[in-house]
Amino acid sequence: MNASFLLYALLNTVLVVLLSPFYMGLIKIVKARAQGRRGPPLLQPYYNLSKLLKKERIYSKNTSAIMRATPYINIAVMLVASLCIPLALIPTPTDGIGNVILFLYMLALAKFFMALSGLDAGGTFGGMGSSREMSISAIIEPITIIAFAALSFSLHTTDFHQMFLERAGATAFLNPGLLLIAIPLFIVLIVETSRVPVDNPETHLELTMVHEAMVLEYSGRDLALMELSHAIKQTLYMAVLINILLPWGLTSELTVAGILIAAAAFALKAGLLSFVTGLVESSMAKMRFFNLPSLFMIAFFFSILTIWLEVFG
Amino acid sequence: MELIDDIAYTTRGRIVESDAKIGCNNDVYITLAERDLETVMHLLSASAYELASLFCVEGFDAHAAYTLLYAFEKKPYKEIAVFRLPLRWESAPSITSSFPSASWYEREATDGYGIRFTNPFDERRLFLHESYPEGFHPLQKGFKNSELDTMENGEPTGAGEYQFRKVAGEGVYEIPVGPVHAGIIEPGHFRFSVIGETIYHLEIRMFYKHRGIEKLAEGKTPEECVRIAESISGDEKVSNAVAYCNAIEKLCCIRPPERAWRLRTVFLEMERIYSLLGDLAGMCVDVAFPVGASPFFILREEILRQNKALTGSRFMKDVIGISGLKKDVPEDALKQLPTFLDKCIETFEESVEYVRSTPSVIDRFEKTGVIRKELLAALHITGPMARSNGLSTDTRIYHPYGLYEKIKPNVKTVDEGDVLARFETKASDILDSCRMIKKALDDLPSGPVSTDYAIRDGYATSLVECARGQSFHWIWVKNGVVDRYKIRTASFCNWQAIEHAVIGNIVPDFPLINKSFNLSYSGTDL
Repeated sequence: MNASFLLYALLNTVLVVLLSPFYMGLIKIVKARAQGRRGPPLLQPYYNLSKLLKKERIYSKNTSAIMRATPYINIAVMLVASLCIPLALIPTPTDGIGNVILFLYMLALAKFFMALSGLDAGGTFGGMGSSREMSISAIIEPITIIAFAALSFSLHTTDFHQMFLERAGATAFLNPGLLLIAIPLFIVLIVETSRVPVDNPETHLELTMVHEAMVLEYSGRDLALMELSHAIKQTLYMAVLINILLPWGLTSELTVAGILIAAAAFALKAGLLSFVTGLVESSMAKMRFFNLPSLFMIAFFFSILTIWLEVFG
Repeated sequence: MELIDDIAYTTRGRIVESDAKIGCNNDVYITLAERDLETVMHLLSASAYELASLFCVEGFDAHAAYTLLYAFEKKPYKEIAVFRLPLRWESAPSITSSFPSASWYEREATDGYGIRFTNPFDERRLFLHESYPEGFHPLQKGFKNSELDTMENGEPTGAGEYQFRKVAGEGVYEIPVGPVHAGIIEPGHFRFSVIGETIYHLEIRMFYKHRGIEKLAEGKTPEECVRIAESISGDEKVSNAVAYCNAIEKLCCIRPPERAWRLRTVFLEMERIYSLLGDLAGMCVDVAFPVGASPFFILREEILRQNKALTGSRFMKDVIGISGLKKDVPEDALKQLPTFLDKCIETFEESVEYVRSTPSVIDRFEKTGVIRKELLAALHITGPMARSNGLSTDTRIYHPYGLYEKIKPNVKTVDEGDVLARFETKASDILDSCRMIKKALDDLPSGPVSTDYAIRDGYATSLVECARGQSFHWIWVKNGVVDRYKIRTASFCNWQAIEHAVIGNIVPDFPLINKSFNLSYSGTDL
């Protein structure tokens, strides 16, 4: 590990943590505008987090250490996972930290603990949320792996850093294989960030919740960490999609100007993707729970198609 | 054939014309002997009579402390048939085997008056929850409204814990929801028995905020009681006030001026519109489609502002009075109402079309929360819930009051009985209400909006069609004050339909099904 990697780690982490809540708020505003409402202020997610950090935590007396440890495990896993996905600056590839499999397993670890914490308090809704999240995961995880496999096939590497480097240096931006892969990646983004049509992040109806039901028992600083982890997860999935499909501005040079331009470019592209996500969320209703596999099948189909094109094309 | 002839025919001569006493508005009152009750009820149920209400009155018959009144309706008779059963002891046979809808009424009479029913379907308490002591029956005349100590030596004095129906078996688990809910909503407890995500059984428990409205009305003058009728349910103020005033007017032979009835009809239909707009919006929100909901929310707000301009109150409080209206409507607000409604209709039709053309919404609405048709009469399900299930029923048509004797609603009947059918029925009700308001405003006569009157003693029934279905009011005035005011709102009957509508659906669909009914908690928790 050298100094430049340390610099990358520092930069990337700061960027992820600072930017993530912004896109949560941006999607909310896009959705509110679609409904003819003004929506919350752009910085509302930051106000929320700072408020939650000051508030007290309350635990049910039925809870175990899992409830207390999960927020820290989640944020730690997310921060490490964020090292897999360079947002703006691509470091010189080192020791497999950008490995696709590593990334997916880390996110699975966070999800596993979140599901456990949902069950921990023994409340009605937490258990329901965990059970639904795990049912969805059982179907979407193999599809996620196939989608990332297709990505690896297309770019001939299983390392995100390598992928992004290749894309940043590529001359032909519109690679049809990569356009196809964008579809499953977007569906995975929707599923993993618990958005319409899979889940409804805005609802107050506990009986319909998936992700929100699992974190219902959290309060104060713990809730802040859970929400921040969720926001980071969203940024990471968005970054995969953006840096594969629209790599403009990505840099591997350690210059101040280059890094600034790269960061600004990412912020802009992620803003655009948030806008699209908000529009997609506004354009349809949530699917009936047992119909979800049909959505996942679309992702599966396009992943397989990409692999097929790569192998036989 | 007159109603009494039909009863004589149905009961095979057990009841003849001379048994009947004709009350206000030609309602038929028939005294029954206890030994005939079960046979008569069985025959009535076999002949398409529907139990509109069942309630207890104290001191109604000279030789009996309590009398049970069974109110029936049968299409197409406008009149109500009320069977009275004077009770020699504080007990009566249960009629739940003939009329399943009687179960809640019987439990209500047991709680309120201590009447015991033999062979009941359900013996648990209804509106008195655990903490009330044994032998406490607040509707008895002997009980005066006062504070109640429900603790004795630090122990609650009441009955044991309420027993929900148990569903046992492999993989069955219970989900308790409420009475405290997320969001701004009234209290109610829902106990699901679920296998995986599929609902196998649901039991609804209400009455967490029982206010004792019927007791509160006792001893009040008929004028004071209008405010009580308005407080039954926040968004049914006009319906309930009109139902109450209508009963008093029938009783005292008061004829409100034509202008008053026309304006009352405008208010009744405005209330229906804003109430149903809220339902449609809620259904869209509950499938996570707020974009489709927001035009309905905006329209609803505009209607409420219009209400404010018309009556000075967004929910039209304190405007309906005995013999007409308490005050007239400002002329300018009235003048621009038809143009306002035309604009509303245009926006509304566009918004409904937008929801209809969104496949993901229709996919959620279709085949969700179907009520079986055989339950409609058995549970006395009324209003949009019945009309979305192939049953053409509307109190405004079958028991017309006021202006509805001249202007007929043109209600839509849909056959499917699912959430989509309720959406369509409610949407068509809104358009029809707009049409009726415009008709009511055509050649609106000028003149006073109330008349002079004198209160007389007596009793009368009154039925109205509120946004949620049929509401039943029965009022008894004795010595110039209200002696008994029985209210049965549409929600009281329709709540029980939800228990059946959700069976076989999945848990995440319950909020949608519940919202497609959108019943009133406070209208049930009298």
